[in-house]
Amino acid sequence: MKAPAAPTLPATDQKDRIKHLPAEARAAFQRFQATCDPVALDPVILAILEDFIPRPPARPLAELPGDTRLIDDLSFDSLAIAEVVFFTEDLFGISISNEEIVRVRSLADLRGFIHAKVAAGPAR
Amino acid sequence: MPFLPVITGLGFITSIGHDRATVGHNLRELRHGFAPVEFLGNPNLPVKVAGTVKGFDFPSPNWRDWRWPDNFSVDRELLRGLAPHGVYAVCALQQALAEAGLDAAQLGDGGTGLFCASAGSPFMLGHFLAQLQETRGERGNPMGIVSSIAGTLNFNLAAHYKISGAVCGFVSACASSSHALGYAMDEIRLGRQSRMLVIGAEDMTAESIVSFSSLRALSNNPDPATASRPFDSQRDGFVGTGGAVALVVEEAGLARHRGARIQAELIGWGQAGDGHSVAASHPAGAGLREAMRRTLADARVNAAAVGYVNAHATSTPAGDRSEALALKAVFTDQGARPRVSSTKALTGHGLSLAGAMEAAFCTLAIDEAFIPGAAHLTDPDPACAGLDLPRTSLEEAPGLVLNNSSGFGGSNVCHLLRRPA
Repeated sequence: MKAPAAPTLPATDQKDRIKHLPAEARAAFQRFQATCDPVALDPVILAILEDFIPRPPARPLAELPGDTRLIDDLSFDSLAIAEVVFFTEDLFGISISNEEIVRVRSLADLRGFIHAKVAAGPAR
Repeated sequence: MPFLPVITGLGFITSIGHDRATVGHNLRELRHGFAPVEFLGNPNLPVKVAGTVKGFDFPSPNWRDWRWPDNFSVDRELLRGLAPHGVYAVCALQQALAEAGLDAAQLGDGGTGLFCASAGSPFMLGHFLAQLQETRGERGNPMGIVSSIAGTLNFNLAAHYKISGAVCGFVSACASSSHALGYAMDEIRLGRQSRMLVIGAEDMTAESIVSFSSLRALSNNPDPATASRPFDSQRDGFVGTGGAVALVVEEAGLARHRGARIQAELIGWGQAGDGHSVAASHPAGAGLREAMRRTLADARVNAAAVGYVNAHATSTPAGDRSEALALKAVFTDQGARPRVSSTKALTGHGLSLAGAMEAAFCTLAIDEAFIPGAAHLTDPDPACAGLDLPRTSLEEAPGLVLNNSSGFGGSNVCHLLRRPA
């Protein structure tokens, strides 16, 4: 099934949208916007996860191995994942279907998935 | 009665204080919780005063922007599904559990139930629906429903505290949390539960309060010292407030067994409809009169045994008059003369919160042996002739205490409380 297109949102929303993220993540997002360098995405993805995680983890997500599971190890539930999906879609101008997201189980899965999506999609 | 419900814990987030000592002091000293407000950034609105909830700030629907006093903690996992009044409720419940000597881990025992009351959050619902409209249904906060509709309190708190007993929300407008308390009493009296948590709460936002301006129900008096004056001939409407109050209600035997301090016994309740109007109270207070009589009958006491009535009176011209007439029919005409006051003169009208808040005030009056005075009353409405409306608080044990509530559609609910034997 083809995923519906992400709604068009004003670009001026972007700065407001990430105002709750740490300064390093906001700077990384700006770097990504300027250079389209996928490496700059990683701190942004982790900051988004830390912003929506229901129970703050004992260690920063950046220190955890890539096979750390979102639901089983990190307290994510379907609602929190839906929040991450919506936020990520709007921030990067991509569209993520339910079928795609259920295949994402670990931190590494998510990182790879968003890299691929952003590379293919109309990143703003 | 084999099972007697008793109150063992109270928690307050109100316009007149966020702890038992402050609330009790302000009730005794008749210190109100009102402050000037400018709703919706509109200086032209005639409503200038509200019962503000100090130390809390909800500048946007995003929980990341919310603030509350440092002495309370709200888990992030819980916060994401809450409305502003859910934050108040968590803070009130923490106090009530501490006072009752209960640990949150004990609440999942199956013997504990949870009854809540709020109108939901018009503030959260408005933002949620605006986003849905703006994106033509393609976006919506996944927590939008559970944080906004009526039931948000019981959805969130039952899950968070792992309540496996009875869980329900009650919706009868300004009688809602009185219904919650009444039915909680029944759960215990029927032996279905040994402990009930009862919570009433409301947002303190323009969306919750200014909406009543359309009904011409709010006071336009800009003076915080006189805007809310129940039973006064100059009253011109109610002053809105929000907050939360939590009560721990337990079966008396359980409370005694675990050494909990019993603050008051809940010995009766009753309800009756006006069968009259969707918004206005019955002109003679017919439903409230019957609800009071049913409450006295439920407790098997006569009117003369009641020492204090915490009236529903919100400071509206029609509602206060109806209640005064109902009180005269139940008490004055039977030769009884309890003290009467409406503490909404100090707090404002908390809508769904009101009944639980005032039941908690009645508990304080019983436990600390005082009667809150009828604040801001200078020229009583002639309809009050024969009622004993003390102008100052009285340092005297009130005897039996009656708590009155009335809501839209003519729902009237009363509780009767007694000092523990």
